[in-house]
Amino acid sequence: MKGNVYTLFYAATLGIVCALILTFAASFTAPYKKANAEAEEVKNILLALNIAVPDETSSEELLEIYKKNVKEEERGSIPVYVTIPSSENEGAVAMRFAGPGLWGPIKGFMALNPEMTEIRGITFYEQEETPGLGGEIVKESFRGKFNGLSVHDEEGNVGIIIKSGSDKAKNRIDGISGATMTCDKVQQMLNKALQNMIGEPQ
Amino acid sequence: MADNKQMTCATCKPKGLCGGKGLVTLKDGAWANNPLAIQVLGICSALAVTNRLENSLVMGAALIFVTIGSNLFVSILRKVTPHRIRMIAEVAIIATFVILFDQFLKAFYWEMSKQLGPYVGLIITNCIVMGRAEAFALQNPPILSMVDGAANGFGYAVVLAIIGFFRELFGTGEIMGHKIPLFTDMYTPNQLMILAPGAFFTLGIVIAIFNIVKGPDKEEKK
Repeated sequence: MKGNVYTLFYAATLGIVCALILTFAASFTAPYKKANAEAEEVKNILLALNIAVPDETSSEELLEIYKKNVKEEERGSIPVYVTIPSSENEGAVAMRFAGPGLWGPIKGFMALNPEMTEIRGITFYEQEETPGLGGEIVKESFRGKFNGLSVHDEEGNVGIIIKSGSDKAKNRIDGISGATMTCDKVQQMLNKALQNMIGEPQ
Repeated sequence: MADNKQMTCATCKPKGLCGGKGLVTLKDGAWANNPLAIQVLGICSALAVTNRLENSLVMGAALIFVTIGSNLFVSILRKVTPHRIRMIAEVAIIATFVILFDQFLKAFYWEMSKQLGPYVGLIITNCIVMGRAEAFALQNPPILSMVDGAANGFGYAVVLAIIGFFRELFGTGEIMGHKIPLFTDMYTPNQLMILAPGAFFTLGIVIAIFNIVKGPDKEEKK
């Protein structure tokens, strides 16, 4: 009986000590982690907007570049990130998009040209797609295809198509072989974001 | 896990006494009983994060930190820990050190932390850490346990670095992100080396070389 009391006491003490140490560590690192997460988001917005960011950039520098080049606005009720026009870039409007992927949520930013007729760039900052198949959506080789993609089909309806084939539609890009499900879902979430943003045919 | 425990226990019998013991422990962990190359423990993380030398080095550092810390504290507490809950106590201590390291990476080396993904957290379940706590730290004084932890962590880190070096070199033609002229001009980087199969090939070759150099086990000869 005495043994049991001691065991419980020991377990409780060890648990509390470990928990205290970890709580301290977590609260100590919290501001740094928050800054990192912000920098990560800013970096993705800049990437979508096609604003050049040097390779080795600290989070402070990133925020500086961001503040210099991007202003936050609201269109309708959707927050958008607009490039401040300068000699180096032609301006773009980025928005957040999100939706279910094959295994987990997919989130990212999509940038359009100021006239809202073409996609300028796209990034994914959260995804859990199958590595090597759906996971390839984060690669430049896939994301690059969106550059200059029209967001209207020939009849002027809003929407893009991600599907492999020989169809020459101006709003279509090739999908990834072996990742049809992921491509379909990305197409859905992008179209939903485009619908919200641009609405019905012009 | 069951097999692993048996294997580590063969090494845990305290041989000899006095000062020579530290050196024996060190040599045992880093070479004669190298956790990765000889005991083939903890290969999950060794396969997953070794596509770049830099990742391998950080992962090795993480394991050294965790094995030293957990061995030290398990050893300090070995006489007051109730035998029945010793494993839970070990896991609690190990987990504390792993999360400390993970938090540190997340705060100060964000990019690295993103690359290593869940594998830092998974050190908690690494057989090497638990194995050393069970097999060594429970029977030995704190300082010697620390030496053992360092030796095993070091043994793991070295093998990881070797695998990372060759995978990065043959897979991308780079070392630590710097292009190696010979490998970018005259050689087409083989993507296979960066993917999972490359890790299996490299690990297999490293294990084979370790065993050839070390020679057959003395106990097996008898």
